[in-house]
Amino acid sequence: MASDQYRRDYAHHLIEQVNKGHMTRRQLLVRASVFGFSASAAGSLLAACGGSSSSSTSPAASASGAPAPVMGGTLKAILPPSITDLDPVTIYDQGGIVLISQFCEYLIDLDNKNGLKPKLALSWSPNTDASVWTFKLREGVMFSDGSPFEAEDVVATLERLVDPKSGSAALAALAGILSPGGTKAVDAATVEFTLDKPFADFPYLVCASSYNTVMLPRTYKGDWVKNPVGTGPWTLKEYVAKQKCTAVKKPDYWGKDDAGNQLPYLDQVDWILVQDESAANLQLQSGAIDLQQQTVFQGSQALFADPNLRVDIYPGSGIREVAFNMQKAPWKDNKPLRQAVAYCLDRDAINKALYDGRSNLGYDTFWEPTVFPGSPTPSPRAQDYDKAKQLLTDAGLANGTDITLTFSKYLENPQFAQLIQAQCEPAGIKVKLEQLSYDAYYAGESNVTPWLNAAMTITEWGSRPTPGVFAQAMLLPTSTWSSSHWDNKDFTDTFNQYMATSDEASRTDLATKASGIQQDDTPILLAFYITQLRTQKKNVFGVQGPGSFYCDLSMAYMTTA
Amino acid sequence: MLRLIGRRLLLMVPTLILVSILIFALAEVLPGDVGRSILGPYATDQQVKILNKELGADRPLYERYASWAGGFVTGDWGDSLLLKVPVFPTVMKALGNSLVLAGFALLIIVPVSVLLGVYAGLRKDSFLDRGITISTLSMTVIPEFVSGVILLYIFAVWLKWLPVTAMPPEGAPFVDRFYYLILPAIPLMFLELGYIARMARVGTVQVLAMPYIRTAVLKGLPRRRVIFGHVLRNAMVPTVTVIGSQVGWLIGGLVVIETLFVYPGIGKLMVDAAQTHDVVMLEASVLMVAVIYMVSNLLADIVVALLNPRIRMGG
Repeated sequence: MASDQYRRDYAHHLIEQVNKGHMTRRQLLVRASVFGFSASAAGSLLAACGGSSSSSTSPAASASGAPAPVMGGTLKAILPPSITDLDPVTIYDQGGIVLISQFCEYLIDLDNKNGLKPKLALSWSPNTDASVWTFKLREGVMFSDGSPFEAEDVVATLERLVDPKSGSAALAALAGILSPGGTKAVDAATVEFTLDKPFADFPYLVCASSYNTVMLPRTYKGDWVKNPVGTGPWTLKEYVAKQKCTAVKKPDYWGKDDAGNQLPYLDQVDWILVQDESAANLQLQSGAIDLQQQTVFQGSQALFADPNLRVDIYPGSGIREVAFNMQKAPWKDNKPLRQAVAYCLDRDAINKALYDGRSNLGYDTFWEPTVFPGSPTPSPRAQDYDKAKQLLTDAGLANGTDITLTFSKYLENPQFAQLIQAQCEPAGIKVKLEQLSYDAYYAGESNVTPWLNAAMTITEWGSRPTPGVFAQAMLLPTSTWSSSHWDNKDFTDTFNQYMATSDEASRTDLATKASGIQQDDTPILLAFYITQLRTQKKNVFGVQGPGSFYCDLSMAYMTTA
Repeated sequence: MLRLIGRRLLLMVPTLILVSILIFALAEVLPGDVGRSILGPYATDQQVKILNKELGADRPLYERYASWAGGFVTGDWGDSLLLKVPVFPTVMKALGNSLVLAGFALLIIVPVSVLLGVYAGLRKDSFLDRGITISTLSMTVIPEFVSGVILLYIFAVWLKWLPVTAMPPEGAPFVDRFYYLILPAIPLMFLELGYIARMARVGTVQVLAMPYIRTAVLKGLPRRRVIFGHVLRNAMVPTVTVIGSQVGWLIGGLVVIETLFVYPGIGKLMVDAAQTHDVVMLEASVLMVAVIYMVSNLLADIVVALLNPRIRMGG
């Protein structure tokens, strides 16, 4: 069981780690948030470490110099439409996720740097091996249908999400961690999660980056558009699929700002649902739209130069996973060939070509400190054709080889594939490109679908808040979405230990070991981590949340232009 | 003529049945399935199987077709599998939007292109004829996406003379719709201008070479009467046929324009439905466009027959 004593011990442990130099101050903030310390408590811990407790400001907050909030007004925001009906349980695309999160809320929120902060849960803490987590809920919160938000609603929500019959889009992410029957109401304001295995990143699985975990009433029937319900700051006035969504202020919303003002500030948000990126950008440039929740870099360069717009950059962790299928030739039992491809890549040039150099470089491991603070620093992998040729010789392919790269015609995948093709050629690796439609790439059951079965693939992944969440999803033999089918016992054991320990020194050691194994064995290439962009008019302030699929407009406001 | 019209209308029934079977069969060969489209790429196989069973998508093709067709002919068009909205009002609203856009575009395209084509034909091989032919042909080869973006940038972003979308705000008077449709109609005019103007020009040139025109001129009829009384009437026959065949495309084929100008028409609805295996929405949309296509061709044939009674329809 979690206990206050354990939290106190853990707080001392964090302070010690910082003072001994085993941990950075930023890492302390991240770990403290995972273990349920509030921002002020984390600040106290930093103060106890000595020095200033201030941390760097987030992009939105850095609009310090931002004017005082203005009440009222209607914000026009643009977003791709949801492919499917709006059902919080089954949504999986940007359009559905962003809209649902306006009306429904998570237990834990994300700040602009992917840090955790309380929302419907006021605090959370684990037992000693992080296999049981206890959440204390905010009291006095009401759903928009008038029913109170209580522990039974959390139980119903999580049980629904781990039920295969519900169509839950969160099922695969929670598989092996939380099973049916694992969520229990201790009392009306306390919930206990008993996990299938210790998992130190569990709060991230019920926060705003785990998109389907919005809290719904226990009576929810799966008909959200007909009976929209949630605890959020907005109520649904009108939704026309593929066209528009109108959200109006909920006058009795529980949230207030630091000055005690009732949230949200705005009266209404008109979401215009536009699929085409060019059309969306033209609307922004024409002045018809105030906010674009997420801006894709390719094709949006004109927005950076527009004097009426402000493009904020957020530290995203989206990736384009280049996976070597270990069950297929030529990658099976062929580490030198996988490494040879890795050494052909000029990651800097790729970053410049695809993102104008705005993304963070990756070196084939999820533990990347520029993206996930506190991660061990991996060995950089610069382009090195001599080494690549030597590795090819080691693989018995001194005269070069032919490989096939399969990807979907989606986002910047085709350009990325062409860059890989061009950069591999000088080493004698001829890359044949197999471009599929998005549907064809993901079509079929798991034993035939190209994205999990082709020999070498590019798969796009949105931001995840920790290396552990990424690795759990795709690098374990039990991972549902493993395109590499990597089965490395050493890595799996190390990773499971890493997820089961809260001792920061041990965590760092285990992360260093896991990261080293991943990079050395190279089951996947991670050339970059994509930063997130959000575009708004210069008179729009207070948009909260990282620039991924989650944004909170409860504190957004507009000054007169 | 009424018998012929009746026969053409009756022929629509087997055509529509054939189209509906083809659509059902073609949707089957598209990669993926409706369960996967609804639950997304990261759902497990088990989840997809459960949902496909719930939706009846695991039944044999003929069973699903019979079930859909039975509902369709009795007026129960069902709900969209993806969007969970009723198909009938959704398709009809999108079709109505497309008809308004196509109608407005035709109002601009037909007079302008006929005028230019006839004028060029009357001045065959002159500087003006060549100028009109080359310029309309040049406009035709510009993809509508390119011309649309350029026009949007100039008139909506830079000059701010025209709106950036094709739909007015809710509650705006109906006439406002035409103001909003000016920009999307121009790329369509570019595309159609060269085609229709060329037909009008060729028709005019051919008719001008006919002996009866020479006779009319030699008889001393005024030039205006020769043109409006004899040339235009006969020169319009191939042009009207072409316009009739373009109406179907102007209603169902404007995906690019609908996408760029954020216009909720039936073209985009069809593409979305096809991409997500939403067969009930796809069938209804395609059949409506097929009906419009056949009716517009029939109307074109009627007009042609009225212009030239020697032509017998269906013959």
